[in-house]
Amino acid sequence: MLDQTHTALSAPQPYRRPVGITKGPGETTHEYTFVSRDDEQVLKNGEYVYYELADPDLAGVNGRAAPVRRVLGRILKRIPLQLYPDTFLGEPEIPPGDVAAMVGYNTRTNELFELHVAIMGYYDAPTGSFINPWIPPQSCKQIYLADNQMLAEILSRKQDKESGSATIGSLLTRAPQAVPIVLSVKDMVSTHLAIIASTGAGKSYLASVIIEELMQPHNKACVLIIDPHGEYGTLDQIANAPQFSEPGEGHTGYRAQIKVYKPEEVKVRISTLNMGDMRALLPEMTEKQQYLLSRALRKVNETKRGTTWGVADLKLAIKAVSRQKNDEDSDGADDSSTVHALTWRVEQRFEHSFTFDETQHLDLPEIFKPGQCTVLQLNEIDERDQQVIVATLLRRLNLARMNTERGKVHSGEAYLPYPVFVLLEEAHHFAPSGTEVVSTAILKQVLAEGRKFGIGVALISQRPGKLDADVLSQCQTQCIMRIVNEIDQKSVAAAIEGVGRDLLDNLPALSKGQVIVAGAGVNTPVICRVRQRYTKHGGESKDAPDMWRKYFSADTQESRRRSEAPLNGNRGFNLMR
Amino acid sequence: MFIGKIVKSDSHINYVCQINGPRDFEVEPGPADYAFGRFVRAALRSGQGEDPHTPDLGLGNGQRPTTYAVGVIYDTILQNPAFGSLGPRLSNEAQVELFSPDYIAEKAVLTYIMVLGIMEVRPSSDERLTVLSAMHGVPLLSLELGSDIETMTDEEVREFHFFSDPDGIENKAPYLHMGYLPHIITQRNSLLPMVTLRIIDQLERLFPHNLPLLSIVKRNFAWRLKVETTG
Repeated sequence: MLDQTHTALSAPQPYRRPVGITKGPGETTHEYTFVSRDDEQVLKNGEYVYYELADPDLAGVNGRAAPVRRVLGRILKRIPLQLYPDTFLGEPEIPPGDVAAMVGYNTRTNELFELHVAIMGYYDAPTGSFINPWIPPQSCKQIYLADNQMLAEILSRKQDKESGSATIGSLLTRAPQAVPIVLSVKDMVSTHLAIIASTGAGKSYLASVIIEELMQPHNKACVLIIDPHGEYGTLDQIANAPQFSEPGEGHTGYRAQIKVYKPEEVKVRISTLNMGDMRALLPEMTEKQQYLLSRALRKVNETKRGTTWGVADLKLAIKAVSRQKNDEDSDGADDSSTVHALTWRVEQRFEHSFTFDETQHLDLPEIFKPGQCTVLQLNEIDERDQQVIVATLLRRLNLARMNTERGKVHSGEAYLPYPVFVLLEEAHHFAPSGTEVVSTAILKQVLAEGRKFGIGVALISQRPGKLDADVLSQCQTQCIMRIVNEIDQKSVAAAIEGVGRDLLDNLPALSKGQVIVAGAGVNTPVICRVRQRYTKHGGESKDAPDMWRKYFSADTQESRRRSEAPLNGNRGFNLMR
Repeated sequence: MFIGKIVKSDSHINYVCQINGPRDFEVEPGPADYAFGRFVRAALRSGQGEDPHTPDLGLGNGQRPTTYAVGVIYDTILQNPAFGSLGPRLSNEAQVELFSPDYIAEKAVLTYIMVLGIMEVRPSSDERLTVLSAMHGVPLLSLELGSDIETMTDEEVREFHFFSDPDGIENKAPYLHMGYLPHIITQRNSLLPMVTLRIIDQLERLFPHNLPLLSIVKRNFAWRLKVETTG
């Protein structure tokens, strides 16, 4: 990056004061150390500092000095060089400074620190990346603290409120809102996002912030949220909040739409189920049952030719297939018990299910619309059914996007001419590590091919250790919040290459609402403070003591006494007679 | 009280003082006056030679501020040239005193004094000294041979240790100083650490409010001197 002092002489520059002087190389090749008094306590861990390096590619013009590059680095650790002797600390009421003053050291600044800095490199605007100078700074170079404006320009790919930007918060080491951290929506959607945090660290809060950003007029995104806990219901306030609308003439105005599907409204058409889904829904089928069912499925799909079919059709097909098999088998093995068991299971599974329906299902163009955020609430639905819902939906979505992109469809239910972003809460339910569930394969496929067909996925999980490592490593933008569990920390470190070890060491120290953002969405890993939500948060824990107290409040006690009063059928009155 | 005169120096801050003998002064100092760890002072002849117009020792001289070097007695030697001459004498002790008094004068008490700093004082009417300023550390000027060594009163010792920092340093309120400690420690003499403890004892008596502060330094010294050297 060119130094403004050399390029724009007319604009007065704010006075820059060096904060320290380099001492020498650090522990590793890409580290250096510098020494600072740091009177103002600004050199925090993770803070950004730079030194200036003459740009050898650009010679000085008109006798002026050559332009300089600012080589940015991040402070890794801070080692005090001058400490009071332990014995000075022996009296709690006496500050050690007073002891030092008594023996003649009366300058108040005694602190001196050695700061270790990881070299990030100088920012190359055309490529949007940091280029390592491959040489540590000379000793005795002045070190400057990177100013807010500089950081705002180079840490994030996009600027605040720019089209395709998602401002999720501001840099943690600076004042709130001083340096906005802006994700590049294009990179985040095309190469997927992962939000990983322990419970209570604020992952659904962060996800909601990202959704809010996506729904603002500068993005107008097409978002689907799969919400197994029903935490995202409060996002419907987006429809009324002024931030999410844009005035325009006639139909050109914009207002974000939120559509919340309650659990009972989430339907899966039985005819979209494949054998894998059946296996998941009807666990522990015998080999014979599986064989019969797969043949029956094939048959019913062949006969119906793309139109819908129901449980009755499937049962008929099972019977037909079994008859056909009996005819083929000359030795006359009897399949009647298998057929009976299978039809009974199919009947029992699907006849009274409110999720699996003969005709209704989620209409893709209805749930996926630019400027609309759809929330599928899957609470109260069995986990196995949830997996099938996600699997069928992703399969249909993937097919629709694939066919639309390839020009195979031009209208109708399977025509989706825009990219979509799917946010998957509790992702470890849908792609657990160690075992294969019905949604794992399609999720892996979408993650691997989604870039081509415009399906972006955001995975949210509180147990990265339980999430399939392949799935996690496909997410190129990572938002990692506080993780205390060591196994989870290790699995994050293993799955995510983009974040340095030094940043991950901060994981247990992060507070609620602080997040390490790394990967494709930003230029360099940063620690960020998540901004305030515009809408109310829904995923809060219950206040148990408060609710217990309410149980004994006068009103509740009275109403409970009335409702629990025994109805004695006027017997007391009878006795009186 | 005058206790002796500078007769020799080992360095810029180490001086040897010969304690006044019986005939030198009206009041002969007793061993308590030149005890180990006692604060003493000696006037520095500053500036007088430079300005010929200054009235020398005239009227009003008493009101001019005087600069004193402040030191501490850290060693005592009893000098006796007769030691070792054990043979018989022609005259006994009483006769020697009568016939050759100079011979007696060769016996002397020598004390070693380390200079700790300087103070500028103005004599007040009631023979007390008002300390105008104090500085701990090595004085620029050296003492001269023959300078008179005086003991210091508790009040003077107090004022030598309790002053505010000179202008330019933020803390203006006076506080307890022991700025000479670092340079005492760097001297190579086995008695100096002990004298430091002695000084702290005196200061504890003079500054009861600063006991916790002094205890830090005292404990530190005591530990190093007593525990670490023995253990």
